[in-house]
Amino acid sequence: MEPKEIIEWNNKKREELTEHNQKIYEEMLIYIRAGSNKSEQQTEEVLLELLEHLLDAQKEGKSAEEIFGSDFKAYCDDIIKEIPGEKKKKKLGFGIYIALKYLAIISGVTGVLGFALSNFFEIGSGEFTFTPLSGTLIIALYLALLFLFIKIALKWIQMTSFSKKKKWIEFVQLWLFCSLYFGLFYLIPKLIPSIGPKISVPVIGLGVLGVVIYIITIPIGRKYGYTN
Amino acid sequence: MSLRSQLLKGTLEGCILSLINQQPTYGYELSLRLQEHGLTDVSEGSIYPILLRLQKEKLVVGTLKKSPSGPKRKYYQLTDAGTKALNEFIQQWNSIKPPVDRIIEKGEM
Repeated sequence: MEPKEIIEWNNKKREELTEHNQKIYEEMLIYIRAGSNKSEQQTEEVLLELLEHLLDAQKEGKSAEEIFGSDFKAYCDDIIKEIPGEKKKKKLGFGIYIALKYLAIISGVTGVLGFALSNFFEIGSGEFTFTPLSGTLIIALYLALLFLFIKIALKWIQMTSFSKKKKWIEFVQLWLFCSLYFGLFYLIPKLIPSIGPKISVPVIGLGVLGVVIYIITIPIGRKYGYTN
Repeated sequence: MSLRSQLLKGTLEGCILSLINQQPTYGYELSLRLQEHGLTDVSEGSIYPILLRLQKEKLVVGTLKKSPSGPKRKYYQLTDAGTKALNEFIQQWNSIKPPVDRIIEKGEM
């Protein structure tokens, strides 16, 4: 069975858990999924097994603590440790897919917004000026920032799992973290000096490019099961 | 790690291989069968990290099949390498158990 079919089934089946067990199981699920870099197939299979075990045990009046012990985090770490890694090819493909989609959105939004602003509000020149060398460097830094952000976000999800910390503290942390991200996003192009000849294109071209890349990623995502 | 869990660690793997060899089975049933045999204070969940490891070492294969009412249970079966590993475990167990029994009996208080 494909991971996405297992996930759909898991989503449905999870509703049969008691409130107490569901709360614990869902935290375990998030924690184990965030322990990324692992085979998605094996991850989803074992998550479904744990769910079905819990459902069976629940019928006999047992609680999650009796099945997984009192230290859920330690139990999940034992599980994550034994899940095999994802195949290199699939990992690389997924990385490229995310990168393309991200660039498509940035370029699409910049293009459409720039076009609208200059045409309807006469803000901006309606042209997008860049230097190929600096442009490439900025894209590379954007991608590095994105992957760093994803890595840290996953780690953060794991660190805040099973914790009894107040929700508002987590919210402030997340807010600061996102602000830092957008701050860097804004600063990178300002800090990179323009090197070499400049090229100007109509800003709508950027929008079209974004849309085209986005459309290209859709069948790739379907084929490799990155999207539902 | 407690003495008990150290003792159990290697043994439990052998027991799981043996139970799967007797009859292909799924996680929950496997934990029930371990308990039926008296291994009652092995927490039920502890079989899953072991099953993952046994799959990684290709000693067992687990298959999750589709059915109209959602997926069937993930059934585990021994591979050829699994049968070999089980035989090795039995051999080693048999060579350790009698002398340990004798030593303990002599020293029993």
